[in-house]
Amino acid sequence: MRIVVCVKQVPDVAELRIDEVTHSLVRAGVPSILNPFDEFAVEEALKIREKNGGTVTVITMGPPQAKEALVRCLAMGADRAILLTDSAFAAADTYASAKTLALALRKLEFDFVICGMKAIDGETCQVGPELAELLGIPHISYIKRVEIDSAANTALAERLTEEGYEQVRSTLPCLLTATKALNVPRIPTLIQQLAAKQKPIETWSAASIGAERKDVGLTGSRTQVLKVYTPELKSQGITVTTDDMSKVVAQVMKLLEKEGTV
Amino acid sequence: MNSENSTGVWVVGEQRGDQLKSVTFELITAGRKVADALKQELTVVLIGHDLEHLTGALEEYSPDKIVLVEGEETKAFIPEIYADVLGSLVLDKRPAVILFGATYSGRDIASRLAAKLGLGLAADCTDLLVDDKGRFVQVRPAFGGNLMATIYQPSARPQLATLRPGMIKGAKSLAKKTPMIERIKPKPQTRTWSKAVLKTVREVAEESGNLDEADIVIGVGRGLGSKENLRLVNQLASLLHAAIGGSRGVVDAGWLPHNQQIGLTGRAISPKIYFALGISGAIQHLVGVRTAKQIIAINKDPEAPIFKVATFGIVGDLFTALPPLIKELEARNSAASADTRS
Repeated sequence: MRIVVCVKQVPDVAELRIDEVTHSLVRAGVPSILNPFDEFAVEEALKIREKNGGTVTVITMGPPQAKEALVRCLAMGADRAILLTDSAFAAADTYASAKTLALALRKLEFDFVICGMKAIDGETCQVGPELAELLGIPHISYIKRVEIDSAANTALAERLTEEGYEQVRSTLPCLLTATKALNVPRIPTLIQQLAAKQKPIETWSAASIGAERKDVGLTGSRTQVLKVYTPELKSQGITVTTDDMSKVVAQVMKLLEKEGTV
Repeated sequence: MNSENSTGVWVVGEQRGDQLKSVTFELITAGRKVADALKQELTVVLIGHDLEHLTGALEEYSPDKIVLVEGEETKAFIPEIYADVLGSLVLDKRPAVILFGATYSGRDIASRLAAKLGLGLAADCTDLLVDDKGRFVQVRPAFGGNLMATIYQPSARPQLATLRPGMIKGAKSLAKKTPMIERIKPKPQTRTWSKAVLKTVREVAEESGNLDEADIVIGVGRGLGSKENLRLVNQLASLLHAAIGGSRGVVDAGWLPHNQQIGLTGRAISPKIYFALGISGAIQHLVGVRTAKQIIAINKDPEAPIFKVATFGIVGDLFTALPPLIKELEARNSAASADTRS
């Protein structure tokens, strides 16, 4: 099985802080990590390779430092890593990102692709399905379990729904998007992490994938950000103890009535 | 496609079994606001099979038009087919705006349609409006709700957006008018997809409700102590018609299925009232409830970060606080049912 995993380097959202004076997002000093949903995707690819044989290629689009995310994937056990980096790729929306990835994936041979269901910074859940459409292949999103049948050339997956899940079968090649329910990602040892730093990372530019400027980055994007702002912080309300429960109950009832929910 | 000759606001409704999901009505309400501001027509599009009986519920919200796309091939939800069918319809009728629910299936169709036709798509919007320049703009959170962004799509038409469920209340229209109903067969497609839904499984307990649709959500954390104590939470939930969700810890411990996890690696919800029971309020959890209107928190630890965002914080034991609350709600319920009897 030739597996491609698309990953992204993201700021560790849990480490973001809001400046209490300026109310702006403080990004300085916030570490960059491999998107947690992509860790589930890499782990699943490695598990499938262990069972069926094959190769795992990881690919990311980002600035030069995004190679750190690829090093993490190599430390986990990926065979090959590709960094798509070019100033032309900058400020891409989901359409331009999917377009860039699609151009790159056309240069690779694969049986299926796995992406995290979303990145924790942009949180769109769109790049995976958009990429599948551009590649002209089916996709199964939000998977919590998958079995690859290499003889039948199919993927059998459980896809989350609001109420539970549905079992979906697709022929290969297809694209899968990973949820947290899929697995528990392995944590590379220190030795694996050090060894991964010595492994080669291929760098591909816009020219290497035949991307024209009009198709990628800001110029290839269909959406434009007009304004970015920090939402108003919820002001802290009142806090009481359970010592006087009649007061607590009355206050809760008041809130329920205010919102018209009782 | 460019902006010339594109007109009309479409909302793509969603049905589950033989009922419309509440996000459909929220989309119509949001779409009506946008359509009126743009002085354009509002059309509801339903794709599926045997949809006729759903039009009555839609009429209460007075869209200008209802389009039913019914065929054998759209019986099961296959996003590839739905996007192909919708794509043909879009090329045929050229709307200016299409809105979808930010749900597991809404996002799938919208993404494939955007890529297929080369369109912009704003994800998980919390508000949709027309600005003072007459442009349709989309408001959406990013970085776990730490930032809000206003998005505009300058040239590609239609502009696409998915709306986060629970952000805009579906409002029945007062001035009722009968919408025009158009029934069409899906256009035959050149592409075929070897994909099938083999079975659908309900995993979220019936009494756990729907996290997207409920006005009240009760979130439980490890502070609940044990899975058995969910019984008390279920009791409260049924009195409040609330849905139940949980923190990552609770899901990892297997007390609740994954679909019910709220937070960074789970779902983002927007109820009117969020009860945080035994939840400390780590940032990873809070990003999932940032658009909740009111937060009522019960926690033993007065230093728990959840109290920083709670409208009403209760410091103390859950098992001291919940029984009197349940008793009061039961008393009110029986008083209310006595009223209806008399």
